Amino acid sequence: MDIDLIFRIAAIGILVSVLNAVLTKSGREEQAMMTTLAGLIVVLMMIVKEIANLFETVKTIFQF
Amino acid sequence: MAVKLFGCFIVFISSSLLGYIYSKKCSKRPNELRDLQGMLQIFENEISFLSNKLTDAFYKIYKQNESPVSNFFKSTAEILQKRPEISASEAWKDAVKLNIDATSFDKEDEKVIISFGKMLGSSDLEGQIKNIRLTLNQLKLQEQKAEEFRKKNEAMYRNLGILGGLAIIIILF
Repeated sequence: MDIDLIFRIAAIGILVSVLNAVLTKSGREEQAMMTTLAGLIVVLMMIVKEIANLFETVKTIFQF
Repeated sequence: MAVKLFGCFIVFISSSLLGYIYSKKCSKRPNELRDLQGMLQIFENEISFLSNKLTDAFYKIYKQNESPVSNFFKSTAEILQKRPEISASEAWKDAVKLNIDATSFDKEDEKVIISFGKMLGSSDLEGQIKNIRLTLNQLKLQEQKAEEFRKKNEAMYRNLGILGGLAIIIILF
């Protein structure tokens, strides 16, 4: 489990929050909402692989 | 590793430049609208007080001003001289289509400018002056809208360019 992933997700989180602030301040709230959702989806896609790994490991440990 | 860094750098610079250019275009629009209004005033004075010919008036306007908007007038005068059988409104329309990319005008501004050209060669002096006044009023309205638009969006586009570049770098590398 490399630490690179954690940093990347943190950086995406910060970026999405800054983008959200910039867009709400200039009045475009729907687009701010859309970028938040997009950031969420991107992070989810990054994580899904690791979750699959986790389930595999749990299965082999408990020998199902 | 170094190539990766170089690639990141290029993506970042290009995307922030895009944002910066768009923001500049946004901020130049009210100024150019103001220039266009000034030139239309000069044109009105030319034809009502000095009774100059159309091409001469256009050349004079072009010489007096330095902004890219004056290219409209210069192109129209040139087209009228090169093809004397074409009508003034057709020449104006062609000149506008040629030169609109060098200015920061919007689609709506372009419509207003072309509609000015439709009345150009087609009525007497009083009609021309009324046409000019009408176009001036429409342009003033556009200018106010453009000023508001600029206040809201100029900084936003710049920031969006930079942040978008950063987002692409982080997600893809």
